[in-house]
Amino acid sequence: MAETLLNIEGLKTHFFTEAGIVKAVDGISFNLKKGESLGLVGESGSGKTVTALSVLRIVPKPGKITDGKIEFNDENLLKKTEKEMQKIRGSKIAIIFQDPSSSLNPVYTVGTQLRDVIMAHQTVSKTEARKKTIEILEVVGLPDAETRMREYPHQFSGGMKQRVAIARALACEPTLLFADEPTTNLDVTIQAQVLNLLNDLKKKLGMSLVMITHDMGIIAEMTTRIVVLYAGRVCEIAETHDLFERPRHPYTEALLAAVPRLDMRKTLRVIPGNIPNLIEPPSGCRFHPRCNYAKQTCKEDIPVLEEIESGHFVACHEWQNITLKGERSH
Amino acid sequence: MASNKTGQKKKEKSKRRGASQWAVAWRRFKRNKAGIFGLIIVMAVFFVGIFGSFFAPYPARPDPHAYDPFYDIDPITGIGDVRKPPSWMDPEEPNSWKYLFGTTPIGTDVFSDIIHGTKYTVYVGVLVTVITMALSIAVGAIAGFYGRWVDNILMRISEVFLVFPSLLLILVFVRIFTVSVGEPFLNIPIINIQIPTGLTIVIVILGLFNWASNARMIRGEFLRVRELEFIEAERALGAGNIRIIFRHILPNLMSSIIVVSSLTIAYAILLEAAVSFLGFGDANTITWGQILQENFSEMRIVWWAEVFPGIAILLTVFGFNLLGDGLSDAMNPRLRD
Amino acid sequence: MAKYHVEGGKKPLTSNNLIEVKNLVKYFPVYSRGVLLKKQVGIVHAVDNVSFNIKRKETFGLVGESGCGKTTVARLILNLIKPTSGEVFFEGENVFDKFQSASKKEKLKLRRKMQLIFQNPYGSLDPRMTVFDIISEPFIIHKHVPKSQWKEKVYGLLELVGLEEYHAERYPHEFSGGQRQRICMARALAVEPEFLIADEPVSSLDVSIRAQILNLLGELQERIGLAYLYISHDLSSVRQISHRVAVMYLGEIVELADTDKLFKSPLHPYTDALIQAVPIPDPKARAMKIVLPGEVPSPINPPSGCRFHPRCPRAQKICGKKEPVFKELKSDHFAACFFPHLD
Repeated sequence: MAETLLNIEGLKTHFFTEAGIVKAVDGISFNLKKGESLGLVGESGSGKTVTALSVLRIVPKPGKITDGKIEFNDENLLKKTEKEMQKIRGSKIAIIFQDPSSSLNPVYTVGTQLRDVIMAHQTVSKTEARKKTIEILEVVGLPDAETRMREYPHQFSGGMKQRVAIARALACEPTLLFADEPTTNLDVTIQAQVLNLLNDLKKKLGMSLVMITHDMGIIAEMTTRIVVLYAGRVCEIAETHDLFERPRHPYTEALLAAVPRLDMRKTLRVIPGNIPNLIEPPSGCRFHPRCNYAKQTCKEDIPVLEEIESGHFVACHEWQNITLKGERSH
Repeated sequence: MASNKTGQKKKEKSKRRGASQWAVAWRRFKRNKAGIFGLIIVMAVFFVGIFGSFFAPYPARPDPHAYDPFYDIDPITGIGDVRKPPSWMDPEEPNSWKYLFGTTPIGTDVFSDIIHGTKYTVYVGVLVTVITMALSIAVGAIAGFYGRWVDNILMRISEVFLVFPSLLLILVFVRIFTVSVGEPFLNIPIINIQIPTGLTIVIVILGLFNWASNARMIRGEFLRVRELEFIEAERALGAGNIRIIFRHILPNLMSSIIVVSSLTIAYAILLEAAVSFLGFGDANTITWGQILQENFSEMRIVWWAEVFPGIAILLTVFGFNLLGDGLSDAMNPRLRD
Repeated sequence: MAKYHVEGGKKPLTSNNLIEVKNLVKYFPVYSRGVLLKKQVGIVHAVDNVSFNIKRKETFGLVGESGCGKTTVARLILNLIKPTSGEVFFEGENVFDKFQSASKKEKLKLRRKMQLIFQNPYGSLDPRMTVFDIISEPFIIHKHVPKSQWKEKVYGLLELVGLEEYHAERYPHEFSGGQRQRICMARALAVEPEFLIADEPVSSLDVSIRAQILNLLGELQERIGLAYLYISHDLSSVRQISHRVAVMYLGEIVELADTDKLFKSPLHPYTDALIQAVPIPDPKARAMKIVLPGEVPSPINPPSGCRFHPRCPRAQKICGKKEPVFKELKSDHFAACFFPHLD
């Protein structure tokens, strides 16, 4: 069994806003093995992005990591100084965002930005860095890299910008990459290109990937293990095949049944209600107001994540009493 | 139906009437200390402006008593020094409130002058802003709604207004139009209010010269709101231009208009003070700028006649600015949630 | 022979045509900004010779990537912008003629029959109005409901879209995205339309909320017999709710067929590539697939011949030279391609 690269335990990241404390991440625990592709699935407000930002320790104000442990290569990142973190960011852990323009500076050429990243983390000369820049741009499939590196971000299309953002994230060959909805703003055909690219690069560089998305299709294609988040907490962790075949948490099951599929038309099952407000989240299990199986205990007690089979964790009071249908048996 | 379950839950929780954006903005504004401070100053200025005449210690000019409130001048010889420092620092009048801010070289009480001047300040601020905003909204809305060449022409005109040194032009126009003023005060018949002729001319000129930047701002906002999808939805419903402008676009510009108005009042007060201070104002209306101008020559000795009106201007302008910023923060959608 | 395994699509309808779109063209001039006058520097071929029809009670899906002109088609049909050329008929009447020459009353009558809902439920409601005012706004414009019945009618509409009476007193900012989309639908339905254009109605909503809205669209179709033009880049949702589907690429329709036919055996290589590009939410379905190279070219100077040829895996010499004709290649299955997947 592969070693653990990242281990998150009881992470809490809260945002102290005018309206109240937004408990965006409220006690999340999971781990990631070396070379693994892990999916973080959830809807808006599930805490998936904040989890990634917390690992990199770049939670925007007024957010704060209030509790928990983030172990990366057996070192607690929450104990690191800001300076140590700067070294880790980019060189060991990198992130790409949904909107690639937000991570590229519009006043510098693409080449300059990449070169700066390389030079910040590696002791190389300017010419070497330049050579590396061209190399990495070619790796991410930017045609005509030598000329295009002299262009500014606004001269690139969305898909090309995302390639550049990936190049920048991978410039120093990190061991862990967070991809936060990297294709949500892209067209389907471009999305397929970028997903393919990520898969290839992952194999080539042997890094671990955390794929953050709400798209069950992308998750099914890209990952080997999945963490399902809802309202700042973990609902279920399982191998991808297992999760799609036999979801054990009512939310996971409902989510799978609510997504239309290209290869079959089915009656879409509706998850009633709306995404909860994280300032006053529902008591007990946060999914209980929308859950078909909710009992009194679900309103009162917070369910703990328990391992029901090897490698399959569920946080649900009722998992033993309910039988859920998998996606296939419709 | 899908949402019944949570629908009912919500009902139990809160069956209140929705909070309009105004209510939300007010809630947010209340938490802003600087904004509240500004609002207090602004309210005080308006209060003194409207009711000041009733509690000013000495009458307003041209009442003869205003010039010699303390009977310092020998009625027979006509000799005597009317200049007094603020009473609280005057050894002759220990612990007195008689002339709080001192007196001017012509013998008037600075405190009373300031109080009587407040109404002109309010008059200037409000009227200039009304004229400016009326013009800017009209120009901005027409340019923003019709676009194309209409927009092009109006914006080029506004640029002309922006690049000219407007203070100089204002001074020229003020001089041209105020030399031939006949009656110093005009009586508005039905409501029976006297308005100062010269000052009103100054106000109109200030208003006519200030619309350009506001109009451009309103045009920009107009364009932004015009592109929002609900406007297209209204069109698809069959709503006409008039309805779209007045019922949908302008109400959505209200918050910007209010913020800009508050800042425009501050600017108008400052501008009028400058015009008066430079000696181009209406000598029949003792505005704060006018007080500064009158006493400027003896500023070295009678500093109090300059400092206190100056503070009044500063505080008022500051108050309107704080209010404007506070309103802007409270109504700014970027800070929402 | 079916290329893909697909099951259980909506059955095609046989009702009459409600909407006919004929040779619709829209070009947008591109200007460079001068000091006073603008100079035209190019033309965006937003919509180029698009024809299709929509039957009564039918959901017609229009699929394509960003910039392919699908939203422009919607705005042209509703006459929110004027076409460069072409015609749209609603119940046999020429829509553009009507909006050009008819009396105000006639225009309003036509407006009442066609409505639309948008992608962004945040921008599509006036933030200064209560839900009641928003939904009763159409009553003011069309005067088809006496004031005494407003309340009853608004509550009825709210119930129809799955909201509650007490929501009427609230403002849009107090609602979630899904609820706002419901409010938009209530407003559109307030004029009792026969035809509703839904422009990406679910793509900005959360996954668990999407199904609510898609199902609601289906329910409404059954209850009040609406016809839809459902515009989306999301093939899965198009497949879920459409009876027939048209695929657009760079301003042109490249393929049109019944939903099942189109997804089972696409004729056009672009449709094929689109289908392959969609990730299937099932790890077992994971397969090697052909990924389309390159990007959608600029609609300002679209490629010559078949607009898809620079990216097409099947392209031959002729594709760059001649424009393929959009024609019926199989029964009720239209495509514009020299080398379709016919077998």
